[in-house]
Amino acid sequence: MHDFHLPIGPQHPSIIEPMHLNLKIDGETVVGLDFSLGYNHRGIEKAFEGRPWMKCIYLSERVCGICSFHHQLCFTLGVEKLMGIKIPERAEYIRTIMAELERLHNHYLWLGLLAFEMGFDTLFHYLIRDREIVMELFEILCGNRVHYSINTIGGVRRDIDLEKAKMVEENLDALEERSRHYLKVFTSDSSILKRIRGIGLLPPKQARELNVVGPVARASGINYDIRNLGYLKYPELKFKPVTEEGCDILARTLVRIKETLESIRLVQDAVIEIPKGQIKARAPLNAPEGETTSRVEALRGELFYYILSGSGHPHRVKIRTPTYANMHCLEQILLGNQIADVPVDVMSLDPCWACCDRMTLTDTKTGRKRTVTKEELRRHAD
Amino acid sequence: MLIEVFQLLVFPGLFFAALIGFLYEGILRKLSAHMHNRIGPPVWQPVLDFFKLMMKESIRPGRATILFTLVPILAFSSVITVVFLVPIGGFHLIMFPGNLLIAIYLLILASLLYAIAGWASSSPFGSVGSIREITQLFAYEFPFIISLLTIGLLTQFTITPFLAWQFPLCMFAFLSSLQGKLALPPFHIPDAEQEIVAGPLTEYSGSRLALFHLARAIRLFVLISLGVVFLFGGGSLLLFFVKSLALLLVLTFIRAVFARIRIDQSLRLFWFIIGPLAVIDFVRVLAGIF
Repeated sequence: MHDFHLPIGPQHPSIIEPMHLNLKIDGETVVGLDFSLGYNHRGIEKAFEGRPWMKCIYLSERVCGICSFHHQLCFTLGVEKLMGIKIPERAEYIRTIMAELERLHNHYLWLGLLAFEMGFDTLFHYLIRDREIVMELFEILCGNRVHYSINTIGGVRRDIDLEKAKMVEENLDALEERSRHYLKVFTSDSSILKRIRGIGLLPPKQARELNVVGPVARASGINYDIRNLGYLKYPELKFKPVTEEGCDILARTLVRIKETLESIRLVQDAVIEIPKGQIKARAPLNAPEGETTSRVEALRGELFYYILSGSGHPHRVKIRTPTYANMHCLEQILLGNQIADVPVDVMSLDPCWACCDRMTLTDTKTGRKRTVTKEELRRHAD
Repeated sequence: MLIEVFQLLVFPGLFFAALIGFLYEGILRKLSAHMHNRIGPPVWQPVLDFFKLMMKESIRPGRATILFTLVPILAFSSVITVVFLVPIGGFHLIMFPGNLLIAIYLLILASLLYAIAGWASSSPFGSVGSIREITQLFAYEFPFIISLLTIGLLTQFTITPFLAWQFPLCMFAFLSSLQGKLALPPFHIPDAEQEIVAGPLTEYSGSRLALFHLARAIRLFVLISLGVVFLFGGGSLLLFFVKSLALLLVLTFIRAVFARIRIDQSLRLFWFIIGPLAVIDFVRVLAGIF
């Protein structure tokens, strides 16, 4: 009997992002898989090179539409480290508020998409409706619903006044109630539990070996959260990481719902504790020559930026997105499951393939793929 | 002669069944949209979709067999024949003893043809969808047939208005298997869009797809009518539609409150829970205890 292959992506109603997953199936069971990326290479890392620092901030924001603030934040933190600027307290608080609000909006979107992958349209629409609360807050705080553009080198561009702070508090109270409701829904609804409990297991040992990050790691009982290291104002706000021991999709869901509750608490505390003062420090136009790295806990896990500065502008910027770290566990969580579990499994990693697409070239004439080495890139950059 | 042609083509035949079927589908979509907290398409959207599809190009995959074209026509003809067997608001078209068995047979044929469509299109999504359709067929068809035969035993296997209030288990089994037969959530496993795109219909387009949509709309109308006549007593035309809409509301409600279950879970549910419940009422009728 020859193998039966089921191609999922790069165009598929479920995984709307450009990823190709070739499943080898036996009846309904997945017995093998192969996946390829690189359908959406945009050359962003190359675009950083030689651009003025201020323009690069907006470029870094465009790496991802969902975690745009964290990309910008990570880049700005790196540049500030290079320039040796200390940013004002108030700006740090505003950054913390924005970062946690973004986490809220992503986790609500993710929960909605998980419900969609399970074929539960009602829950999907309810979650997307409740996500609007955060989206409206973004509009109030920075004028944009996506791509907030609030960071700048040396601080932030917009202040949070009393009126806005009050709005944040009121809206988040409403959202907290919703989060608690969804925590109850996801732990008690039998038709949901049938699809997520005990599916897509990633035991702690494998999770460590595959170096997964973010909520996926925390759902396998690994307390790996960059916020523990204390950037921005997390130590002052007494950030508590959320971990679960379940290792399945239910655990990943619970981690994210509990993180929304933690984010709401952080934002509400930050809005109260925020000190008065400047929101932006004076920054030089150019950074001195040198190299630096910066890490933040983005919505999907650890985000890493390497910046090499040379002759007044970025010489090389390397981005490592959390999806790149997480995608290697696909085989572990998919094999042996049913076709019906595949979309839910893939979604449980919260993938953002467009974020992590880089470094692969496809020869359109022969269809041959090759990965660009560091040396080649260096030659290309010179 | 002229009256018979009118009956076949207009009322209660083709035109009427198609229109009401599309209307039911529109109502289903509108109601579930409101349950989802959104506005939803206008009620006549399925009709507009049908005419739009009719005007579009119908592409046939290179490796598809001749069945690819034949199957939509057969599926449409099999469901439209059932319309003639079901008395709608007291209007009979064809009436003979034992027509229930013909109706059951033709309704199974429609599901089978739907599965054949997937194989004929020779696409991986279509094939997986077909396997699921057939597997699902074995799940829901047992309680569906048993619940119909329970009443059938009392009416000499003829479709006549009957109020089955003594048989609540049979009603429950009918409603659940109806949800499965119509492939509505939580049993929309054969065409789960997140997994296998559109299942057996993935490769269909244009007029062939339109014909399938028409067949599904008529099937929705026929199955609801069959339920209303055979389990809820039918009645005059007005009463018939009131009951039909109530049944539609129940279907929409079930559709809105569940996540899609997996095929193995669906099999287990139908064989071990809903099936035995239907059998209890069937045995009661056989033994004469009611």
